[in-house]
Amino acid sequence: MNSFVLIKQVPDQSAKAGVNADGTIDRAKAKRMLNPFDCFALEAALQTKRLYGATVTAITMGPPPAIEILYEAIAHGVDRAVHLCDRRLAASDTLATAYALYNTVRYAGAFDLVFCGLQTTDGDTAQVGPQLAERLQVPQVTYCESFEVQRDKLIARRVTESGTQVVECPLPSVVTVANSAHRLAYKTLRGVQRVHQLQRDEVERNQVIRTVSLDDIQADPVRCGLKGSPTIVAATEKVGEIGGKCVLFQGKSIDTMVSGLLTDISLAELVQR
Amino acid sequence: MKQVLIFAEQTAGELRPVALELLGAGRQLADKLGASLSCVVMGHTITHLPSLLIAGGADLVYIADNPALETYRTLPYRRVFIDLIASMEEPPHIILLGSTTTGRDLAPRIAAYLETGLTADCTELDIGPYEHTSALDPTKVGLYENCLYAIRPSFGESLKARILGPWKNPQMATVRPSVMIALPVDTARQGAVQEIPVVLQAEDLGLVVLETLRAVSESVELAKADVIVSGGYGLGSTEGFGLIHELASCFENSAVGSSRKAVDSGWIAHAHQVGQTGKTVRPKLYIACGISGAIQHRVGMDKSATIIAINRDANAPIFKFAHYGIVGDLYQIIPEMIQQLKQGTPSNISKAGEANVLTYTL
Repeated sequence: MNSFVLIKQVPDQSAKAGVNADGTIDRAKAKRMLNPFDCFALEAALQTKRLYGATVTAITMGPPPAIEILYEAIAHGVDRAVHLCDRRLAASDTLATAYALYNTVRYAGAFDLVFCGLQTTDGDTAQVGPQLAERLQVPQVTYCESFEVQRDKLIARRVTESGTQVVECPLPSVVTVANSAHRLAYKTLRGVQRVHQLQRDEVERNQVIRTVSLDDIQADPVRCGLKGSPTIVAATEKVGEIGGKCVLFQGKSIDTMVSGLLTDISLAELVQR
Repeated sequence: MKQVLIFAEQTAGELRPVALELLGAGRQLADKLGASLSCVVMGHTITHLPSLLIAGGADLVYIADNPALETYRTLPYRRVFIDLIASMEEPPHIILLGSTTTGRDLAPRIAAYLETGLTADCTELDIGPYEHTSALDPTKVGLYENCLYAIRPSFGESLKARILGPWKNPQMATVRPSVMIALPVDTARQGAVQEIPVVLQAEDLGLVVLETLRAVSESVELAKADVIVSGGYGLGSTEGFGLIHELASCFENSAVGSSRKAVDSGWIAHAHQVGQTGKTVRPKLYIACGISGAIQHRVGMDKSATIIAINRDANAPIFKFAHYGIVGDLYQIIPEMIQQLKQGTPSNISKAGEANVLTYTL
């Protein structure tokens, strides 16, 4: 059985570094991290390794530092990795990203399951997983909370607004994992040792982590990056204030401020009788 | 004629509120464009829905009524949708879906199939011109009229991004539920209904829904609550939510919300999360306790009628859009609020009436 997991390196938004005065993010300076949503996808992929003996391949698309999250994935128990790294991918929107990842998945070989995080914390679209499934022409299970594999079928629970759904889905398929799924387990000692070994041994590293370009995966550069993206960010604006001025109580005693607030505002209809 | 097409989501024969919200938003766009507003609804035994959709603003309702469509599944719905678009003389100018689990499952498949742009989770939509001047991609340079402006919060940044893709129709977007406003129901409105064929392929039917467990979750209460008391990272611990619950219980029809950071810290379940990756709410009263007011949280609650913020940092962004604020330690302020609210017996909390001012006597 072959499981792929798609992961992405994102700026760490809780760190102050790399946040410009105007609120934008300087990606070169920002601290980097594995997209938190992908931790759930990684755990799901590793579950297929523990339960069904699957070989797990981690795939990422990103600039050279993105290799850090592939090391992290290997430390958690991933078997091998593919790093799509090409300047021509800059400014890809979700459609162009899904196209590039589709070709990377094809390059990586046959698969039974492709796991994706629900969304990323920097783009927050939740679109790439289903767009990839469309390119691969396979079914998808989104918002997956838990699953098991029975022969050539996936039995999965997915969360929706109206409740939990249990579905049976043929393989191969794409699964996007909800953030209510199992949390990522700790790194394994063997995995961590393996990463140390790979960092020392270039020959072995190149076997385990394939760094590939658009040419290697036979992707059409015109369908990638800026050129392949049908959407652009045309403008950004600062979020303005709403509701006029805030009536602010401060620097007084607690009971004065609270009674000031409760006098100012009409709560009569809302208070529990 | 130009067409704005919306996807009208239903479950068990009942329209989801977002369907009517999309019609409200779509009507404005269609009127600006001089276009017609159509919608597609799929399901089984749903022949009562088209009249509701026309009363909600649709000029034309495409209906696909078939047992295989009873419960939403990606591939059957995708098939009917792309066949519908293929049957049109020209593709719709704009297609909108709700950012529900269903809309977010279906929209990217259709956009990828059509090789067109899709903007996720929009909070505002508009129509306008756009001139592309960047020479980085010369094929795109030019002046474009009647572009869909898909506006969404730019995550992690205190910015709104206007996203466009005028190079190819349909221009697609998903729209956050509870953000757009439905039109008043007008049963006198005229509209057409057109049945569309359902021709499914074997590969569309591989996935089977075995079971649906209807959950009466907290999230339902959150959407319908008049008062939401939310706790954030400033609570410092899971125990802090005890105080949040206690404050919430002072109000009728209340619920407990939270920021993403409090959920990520494991203090409260994800079902309580308000904001970009949680629920969008618009209660009569929203009390934000120890929440800084990052854009991710704000987009989920800034349509609340009244917002009260409690935060120890006077410079917290939340005070820029709250209506009322108290600067100080929430562990002192909330107990005082609870005490004062409880002391206010029905006799001295009088109905506010027209003046909209409460005389509060202790």
